[in-house]
This record gives sequence, structure tokens and C-alpha cells, in this order.
Amino acid sequence: MLLLLLLVTPLGAELSAPAQAFVEAHCLDCHDSESKEAGLDLETLPFDLDNPTVFARWVYIHDRVRDGEMPPRGKKPEKTAVEEFLGALSEPMMAAHREQAETRGRTTLRRLNRYEYANTLRDLFDAPWLQLKDLLPEDGEAHRFNKVGHALDVSHIQMAAYLKVADAAIRDVLASSATRSRTVRHYAREQQSFVRHMYFDDQNREPERATTPLLGHEAQIDVLAEKVPVTVGATNPEVREREAFGVVNGNYVGIGYDFNNFQTDVGGRYRLRLKAYSYWAGPGTIADKWWEPDRTTASRGRRKEPITLYALSPPSELRRLGSFDVSSDPAVHELEVSLLAGESIRPDSARLFRSRPGFVRSPWATPEGMPGVAYSWLEVEGPIHTREPSRGRQLLFGDLPLTLSGGELEVEPRDARSDAERLLQNFLEHAYQRPPEEAERKTFLTVILGALDSGTGFADAMIAGYSAVLASPGFLYFEEKPGELNDRALASRLAYFLWNSPPDEELRALARDGQLHDPDQLRQQTHRLLSHPKSRRFVDAFLDYWLDLRKISATTPDSALYPDYYLDDLLLESAVGETQLFLAELLSQDLPARNLISADFSILNERLAEHYDLPPLDGVALRHVKLPPESQRGGLLTQASVLKITANGTTTSPVLRGVWVMERILGKPPPPPPANIPAIEPDTRGAVTIREQLEKHRTLKECSSCHTKIDPAGFALENFDILGAWRSRYRALGDHEPARGVGKNGLLFTFHYAQRVDPSSELPDGRAFKNLAEFKQLVLTDERQVARNLVQQLVVYATGAAVRFGDRPEVEQILDRASSSDYGVSSIIGEVVQSRLFRFK
Amino acid sequence: MSSRTPQSSTSFGPFQCRRRPIPRRQFLRGASVLLGLPLLEAMTPALSRRVRASDTPQKPRRLLAICNNLGILPGGFFPTRAGSDYSLSPYLKGLRDYRDDFTVLSGVSHPSVDGSHASDVCFLTAAPHPGSGSFRNSISLDQFLADRIGHLTRFPSLTLGVNVDRGIRSLSWTGSGVLIPCQEKASSVYRQMFLQGSEKEIEHQIRKLQLGESILDAVADQARSLRRRVGPLDGDRLDQYLTGVRELERRMTLSREWERRPKPRTSAPMPLDPTNPRAYMEKVRLMYEMARLAFETDSTRAVTLMLDGVNSPTIDVEGTAITDGYHNLSHHGKSDNKLAQLKAIDEWHMKLLGELFGKLKSAREGDGPLLDRTLILYGSNLGDANTHATQNMPVLLAGGGFRHGQHLAFNTQKNYPLPNLFVSLVQRMGVDTDRFASSTGSMRGLEFA
Repeated sequence: MLLLLLLVTPLGAELSAPAQAFVEAHCLDCHDSESKEAGLDLETLPFDLDNPTVFARWVYIHDRVRDGEMPPRGKKPEKTAVEEFLGALSEPMMAAHREQAETRGRTTLRRLNRYEYANTLRDLFDAPWLQLKDLLPEDGEAHRFNKVGHALDVSHIQMAAYLKVADAAIRDVLASSATRSRTVRHYAREQQSFVRHMYFDDQNREPERATTPLLGHEAQIDVLAEKVPVTVGATNPEVREREAFGVVNGNYVGIGYDFNNFQTDVGGRYRLRLKAYSYWAGPGTIADKWWEPDRTTASRGRRKEPITLYALSPPSELRRLGSFDVSSDPAVHELEVSLLAGESIRPDSARLFRSRPGFVRSPWATPEGMPGVAYSWLEVEGPIHTREPSRGRQLLFGDLPLTLSGGELEVEPRDARSDAERLLQNFLEHAYQRPPEEAERKTFLTVILGALDSGTGFADAMIAGYSAVLASPGFLYFEEKPGELNDRALASRLAYFLWNSPPDEELRALARDGQLHDPDQLRQQTHRLLSHPKSRRFVDAFLDYWLDLRKISATTPDSALYPDYYLDDLLLESAVGETQLFLAELLSQDLPARNLISADFSILNERLAEHYDLPPLDGVALRHVKLPPESQRGGLLTQASVLKITANGTTTSPVLRGVWVMERILGKPPPPPPANIPAIEPDTRGAVTIREQLEKHRTLKECSSCHTKIDPAGFALENFDILGAWRSRYRALGDHEPARGVGKNGLLFTFHYAQRVDPSSELPDGRAFKNLAEFKQLVLTDERQVARNLVQQLVVYATGAAVRFGDRPEVEQILDRASSSDYGVSSIIGEVVQSRLFRFK
Repeated sequence: MSSRTPQSSTSFGPFQCRRRPIPRRQFLRGASVLLGLPLLEAMTPALSRRVRASDTPQKPRRLLAICNNLGILPGGFFPTRAGSDYSLSPYLKGLRDYRDDFTVLSGVSHPSVDGSHASDVCFLTAAPHPGSGSFRNSISLDQFLADRIGHLTRFPSLTLGVNVDRGIRSLSWTGSGVLIPCQEKASSVYRQMFLQGSEKEIEHQIRKLQLGESILDAVADQARSLRRRVGPLDGDRLDQYLTGVRELERRMTLSREWERRPKPRTSAPMPLDPTNPRAYMEKVRLMYEMARLAFETDSTRAVTLMLDGVNSPTIDVEGTAITDGYHNLSHHGKSDNKLAQLKAIDEWHMKLLGELFGKLKSAREGDGPLLDRTLILYGSNLGDANTHATQNMPVLLAGGGFRHGQHLAFNTQKNYPLPNLFVSLVQRMGVDTDRFASSTGSMRGLEFA
């Protein structure tokens, strides 16, 4: 047998003699060429470490033996034999990775991903309002992140997109800087969309779906009866100021109320001032329809109401701008926001219901009336210029005179050729963040001069040259050479890690002076970057991939099973904000990584507190809230965002949630599922629980080896429904008395409460738990593993390569150094930056 | 007004679609019908090296591939009996007028394509394990064809979509596994095909393309010099970059050649794009219409159409009140109410398909109906959307010169590989190949007419 192994193993890649002896004694009973259990044939598996697939196989074998999972029960070898085997196996594997790291680096050359590209242009042109990410093709991902060289492809489509996006961004930046700021007020009474809904028509005769003319808190009956014009207009400024339109419905199909009689001319930063307040509509006057507000009666609001503003671009693309509360006192609320050219503004009375066909009533309706929001006017000021001329314009055309008329851009050069050379030189220095090589300068100058020669105007010729620079490898690719990174590359890695953006002037200066690689300096800069507001770009981009937060809207709650969440954007937006601000809080306070599993606080607002059954909070703003000791909440696993992302809108699956938790949170990814096993068919009629269906399946030997690892985490989360609300019973549809209630869509509930949820299970090592709280405790018995997973995720994100077998000692060192802070999250980041993994290619 | 991105002046892409329609129609004006006219030498773009004797354009064939990514209720779709004397299933009754013009397949799927909804991007690629973390897509059927015969028409291919989740879904993928975005507006497809720019616009466009080509020369220059300074693995990434640059350059050159040639004419009116995604069915109908016009004018030989129900809201269906989002309905959980609504939706799908068959059948090309020269592949990545199963995909193949009128039934427990059908389609298009993705041969039981 031994001979056979030697024969089939390629020369120079042999398993050492003691390791072979171990394999023969303990493994070949099942994993020989005849039985090949689990598809593993150790008689023919070469120890060929140049082949990544084979390497990965040996790592898997190593880990199964290390974790005591193999050889299986009853066949355990001596502890020393195991250790000897592991040593014999790992030594050559470590050496192989070490050598790879030295000769070619852990990472592969990579380009900017589209998040990074978008931020880089924002910073380069000092135009934070640019929204370029979605104009570029989606990036490939590897190890769950969009940061890995071999997955960041370039095709002709990508190239075409670069040229198009750069050209458009440059023109938008110039147009913005050439446009004077102005302030224009838009009265609700002059917006067609508000006015239209004041009248009943064939489409709509429901007072809930109509706008109500108000004067302060009083219904304006004369306007409603069309006895007087909709507005007094400029004739009576004092009355005009008190005019408003009230709504009791959220902004949705059927009742859209937008400030869309205007569109922005250019992109830029804008100040929006909205005058609005809450009012009380009704009560109803029809005896058997107490919930129908009588539009001739209105009074002062009885509570605050949240409003969310969206940028609206035709036909119906929305981008959230921000939220605030309005009280019953008419007041002006200001937000500074980024807008693109051609956008209008959509306000949404976010808490109010969104009536769908067949609706019965607002869930907030009472016999005394119902809450509503009144809109007076919206003032738009901008584009705001913080500097004149703007830095972007300065970079592109210096102080040359620039005119913009009818969308055509013209720049008057003093001397076309010398201006072109001077401007290009300066642009290259900024875009490349280094002095350009002579050959590079010439290459791009050729583009510009060629364009000028063929009759292209100066502005267009320069923009062509700039577009070339912004699509060139020198701009798009990270220049990292094998070995220790030079200071420039280090500055770049650091800035794209903690800001997802290029280095700023301070970092660049340190790199120029060759000081950045000094450990203390590096530590100070890490701290500075993390404390800077731009670190939010890291938080959001990291969560988008680590937890798949970008997929929060990939499924919608089933309207029949979950009418209370269906269409509830306020809940969804709050949930995303909670997770983002939670991580930001762990970072800024350097809180221990165990908070990812269990925390005594979260970041909540009124809607989330209600959703989580916590003591009520007031208002839409998210804030740090201490959780009551008996609360089930705390940590990522109980956040609505995570619980939604791991469900499908209709049902939850312990298998899918289990895999997700293993992979993202516990850092123990299960092997991929066997091909072509269909998923369990969800049953929404309440006849059988998912647990009962899974039990059958888990008794099969070929399934149970993985499912005993995967399912427990999923079972522990069964008390949380598809959007993370607590449940002790499943919801089901079918012939039962439905639960009482009215959905966000105004329809009566049709679901009923069916079987009880059982969240208990046991870990693969036999430790049992009754519920999520106990599960969390068991997980936290190995706090270091929680931190280790975070390190592994951060290393992929920060360096663009996964933690390999040979990198494991480095990871342990990072953890050792961070252990004194109880694995504080920003301490971990600090140690990642200090590690060889980060400082070397 | 400002220069908002889409309208801004120097717009460079996407090139697979920017090219204006074919000139051949021009020569046929007055001849009242479209003839399969041999390509004149001058009309053949410079880069047609890969044409083989077997794909002479004597009798052009085309492909329209449609994926409805929420599937079709299997009970309504699949016939029970196999062979040519099968009885039409309830859904297929909607296509009874064309019984001899299509073949229905059952018991087929793409091997190792799992991943539930994620599998729609593999409908035309058959790349394995779309749900897994290390998934890479591969070339789609239409791009495989476009790479080989795309130079024969103004548009190498058209990638269309209805309510598509942009940047996430498409049926068309390049050889390096990169998504080609879907065109959502029928009006802009129409405009590309038929609206002639003014002389000034054409000159302007040509100059822009030349400018684009000079930009690409510059970045390629830099990439080559960088390439010399890095190791082999990093070099592979720059090679890929250079390939992207060259491919774009090639397309720009071809685009420039087409610029001077007049576009074909059509009597069809400019379509009005529905603005609301609820108008799903109307959008589907318009896209079928665009595909038909593209084929009638030989503007392209390959069209894909992704019907993204997953990304659609509650849709409007004439005669039936749809009360829930399309995706939610598909997870019907055996609710009678949801099933009834799905049935109404599915039947509309069949109705629209029937309309398309009818129009292609009555349009003549040379001595036969256009339908006989047009392959229409209709199906779904999901065999059963309720369970997310990717086995037993519903597939229907119409037209294109196969012997139809049969139900090709394979084992529903152990499926027959669908990529074999793709091999047959590629061969029927006149391109010489014996494999596609995980194929094991050509389609058993399907014969050339």
C-alpha cells in the first residue's frame, strides 16, 4: 500500500513517511480506491501542492482530523499520533504558501471595483454627489467580496462603461460648477400631483387616497368644494404660507404626491427645506364607515410623523435622501443632500398606510379620526458651491474661461498645445497620485493633440484625454509588487480599506516621505482614518458584502402572510441603518467582537422598537439604546436586516440560515450542497413545520454529517420570522379563523397562527440549547473564534485575498495582539493593518 | 438643462448595440419581400475570418431565446404522452394552431445548475453551481453565435429584457463570464434599428468613434508596458484587460463602417414604452415585436429576452385581478387563489408566444415563412418555482427548420442534458460545433427538416 502511494504521488511532492503511515493505519479503511467514502480516495490523491484544488483537499483533510471529526468515533488514534500527522502534513503546506507569498504575493493584481471607482472620482473631482456605482457593470465576487483580483474582470463592456462614465462624470462636474446656486420654493398647492388627488375621479373615490386642502390645521372647505381657487398664490403671502395639502396615505401607486413640477438642472449638493406638520383627519361621518375620514374636518396632529425624502428620476427610480419627524406645529425641516441632474423630490409620510386595491381601512384609523401629514412647500437651494471655482473644475481646466450653453461645453485656451500639456500633467499627477512617467504623458497627449488636429474643440479633446487616463491601467489597477509594499502602495491599501477611497493629502505626504511603513505612524493613520466620517464608506461597503446587506430588497414579504411588513419601506430602511450604525458603533467604541453575537444595546428608532417589542421610542432617528436584560435582541443575529436577508419573504429555512451563520458569523463554512437535491417544498398551509420535514431528512446518514453542523444555528433563529419579528407560532394560510388586524396595505389579515416554533437543538459536539439565548452563550464560549472569523473577513476585504492555510499563524498573531482589548473591533483592524498579511503583497 | 449622463455628448457604448441596422435591406427596396441575398463583398466587414463555408449567408437563420425566470406551472405545461401523437396540454392548447411548428421538451435540465433563482443567468450558459460563492458564468448561446456570425449583421446580437434587475440579470454573457446588460426600452431598440441620424450626426458619431479608438490605443499602450513589469498571474489580468480593449476597438471600427450605410425601413410604428413595470405583458409583447422586426430586416441573428418576473411587481393581466407580486405568487404554497392567478399569467405567456409564431409564419423570406428560418427557444430555468427546483425545466422550441410537432419526453428523475439542444441549435445556425458547455452530443430525437 505504501508503495502504491509513492508510485502515484508526483515526484517532489510526497507525503512524508509518518503521514503516509497514519493515512494507511487510520484512513484507508474507508477512503481507499474501492470504497472512496465521501468521494475521497486517499490512494490516488496526490500530495501535489501546486494544484490549488488538491491543496484545498488536503487542508480539508487536515482540519477534519484536527477537529477530531476524522477518523470517526470508535477509531480514534492516539493524540500524539494525530499531532505528529498534523505536523507532517502542515509543514510542507506552510512552506508552499510561504514561498508563494514571497515570490508572487498572496494577491493577484486587481482593478478598482465599482464602489471604489465611484468614490475615487468623487474625491478626485471633489464632487461627493456623483452616483456612478450603478452605471458600471456589477463586479465579480470571490470569497464573498468584490475585492479579489481574479474575480474583477474586464471585458469590452466594462471598457465601454469606463469611457462613458468618465466622460459623463467630467461633464456633470463642470456643468455643476458652471451653474449659479439659486433658491426656489415649490408650493404643494402648485404641484399637479397633489392637486390632482384632491378631486375624485373614476379611478378613485376613496377619501383615504385623496389630498385634503388645509389652512393651518383647519380643512379648507371652500377649496375642496371648488368655490375658490386652489391657492391664493402671490396675492396673499400670509394666507399662502398657511396653505397645505394633507394626506393620510403613504406615497405609493394610486396616491403619489411629489414635488415634481421641477427637475434639477445639474447635479450637486443641495439644501432641501420642507415645511410640513402632522394633523388629524376626520372623524368619519358615515355611520357604518367610521374609518373613512371626512375631508371637511381636520384638527391639530396628535403625534409626530416621520417623513422620508427621495430623489425621484423618471419614470419612477427612487434614491433615499433622508428622514425626519414633523410635529403638529408647522415648521421647516432642512436636509443637505446630493442630487443628480433631472431629479425631483418625493416625500413619503412613511408611517402611514399604503392602500392597495380592496383595502378596508388604514390600520391607524379610529372612530375619532386618523393621523395625517400636511405639506406646505419645499424649498430647493443649490447647487451649493463650497469653493469658487470648484476643485474639480480647477483640476480639469485651471482658470481657463469656461462656458456652458445648451448643454455644450466650451473652454477657451490661451495656447491650445501648451495649455493641454500643462493641464494633462497636473491631471495625471492627481489621478495617478504620483508623478507621471514621460512615456505616459506622451501617450495621453497624443490622444488630445490628435483630437485637436481632427477638428475637435478644446474642451472635448481634453475630456477625451482625461477619459483615457481614467480608463487606463495606471488609474484602475493597484500597483503592488511581490514582497513588502512600498509606502505608496501601502497608503493605497490603507485608504481603500478604511475609506473605500483613495488616500488623502496627509497619507500621500507620509508615503512620499517614506514614513508610512513605520509601525507607530501606521497605527496613528489607521486610527485617524477610522475616526474620519469617510470610514462610513468602509462600514457600508463591507457590510454590503460580508452580510449581503446590499440584497436587503431581493425578496418582498408575502402580502398574505406578512401584510404588516409588506410595503413597509420605513422598517426596511431602519433595519439597514441599524446594522450599519451598529458596526460603526463597535468601531468607534472599540467594543469587543463578541458583541457581534450578543450585545446589550442596539441602534433603534420608533419603528424598530415597535417591531422588536421593546419599550416604545419616539421618532425616526436611529440612536444607541440599551436593551432590557430580558430582551431576546442584541448582536447581528437578531437584527431585522440579517433575518430578512436569510429568509425568502414567505418562509424561513433553518438550512439556509444555518449555512449563512456558519459561513458569515462563525467562520466555519460548510461544504457545498450535493448537486441536484431539491430544496424542501415550503408549506404555507400550516400542515407540517419545516422542522418536521427536516427531521426526516437528517436521519439519512449522507445528509446528517453536514446537517448536524448546519441546522442548529438555523433552528436557534426559528423564533424570528422573515423580517425578524419574534414569533412563537408560525403563520399559515388556509381555512382557519384569521388573526385580527389590518395590514400596511389596508387589507384585513387573512393568515392564522399555526404550529408552535421549537428553537431547540444541539451542537455537533452534543451540547444542547433550548433557544437562541442559550445558543449564543454556547457560541461565546469560544469568543476567539468569533474574532477569528471577523479577522478572516477583514483580511479578504483589506488585502484582496482569502486567509490561506499558510496565513493561519499570522491570523493567530493578530488575535493574540488584539486579545488584550477583548478583541475590540477597531483593535482587530489595527492589528490586521500591522500584520504581514496587510503590509506585504 | 445640463448634460445628464445618458444624453451627454461623447457616449461610447455599449457597442454591441450601438451599431445601426443592416444595409442589405436597402438594396432590396422595391423588391417587396426580403430575399436571402448573398452578401456583397463590400458589405462584409473586414473582420470575418471565422466564417466557414458551412455558414454562408445564403439562408440566414436566427435565434430568439426567451427565459421566463419564474417558470410555468408544470401541471399546465407538460403534455402527458410522448411522441408525435401526444395530446396538447392545457397551456399548449393556446398554441394549437402551430402544433406542427414546435417541439415540447420534458425531463431536461442543465447538469449541475442549481442555486434556485440564481440559475436564470445560466439559462443560456449552463455554467454549473450559480448559487455558490466561487461561481463564474460562461459564454451564453447567443454570444457564442455572435462571436462567430455576429459580423454578418449590423448588430452582432441584441440583449433584451422586461423588468430586469439591472446589473444582476441577463441571458447574455461574454466568454469571460461578464454580463451584457439588457435593453429595457422597445423604443430605443426601434430607434437603433430604423432611425437614421442626420449627416452632421453621422459625422459627429464617426469622429467620436475615432476619438474612442485613439483612447483605446493609449490605454493599450500603457497596459502593454505595465504587462512587461509584472509576474505571470498578474499578467493574466492585464491580458484580459487588453483583450477587452481590443474587442471594444474592433467593435468601434465595425460601428464606424456601419455609420455611413443607410438603415432599413419599416412600416411598423415607433413603440410606446409602458412606464409602469406592472405592464409586464405589454412589455413582453413589444419585445417580441422588436425581435420580429430585427429578424425581418436581418438586423441581427441572435436575440435574447429575459423576462424577469422575480423583479416584477404585481402585474396587470387583462381579464384577471392579480393581487400579489409575481414572485410572491410563484411561491404559491399550493394556495388555490395564487394558483388561479398564476394560471392566468401563464396562459397570457402562451397567447403572446402564439401571436409571435403567427406573425413570423405569415412573414415570408424567400420561398418560405420566416418562422422556418427563425429558431425560438422558450423556457425557464426553474422547473417548479414553488420549490425552486432547477430540474425538469419547461422548454419549447419552435421554427428554424426542425421537424417539429412532437413531445420529446425524457426521464424526469434523471434528466437529459439540455446543452445538447444548444449544440443542435448552433449546428442548425450553420456553425460547426460538436459541443456547448456540459453537452454530451446533439439533441436526441430532434431532426433537421
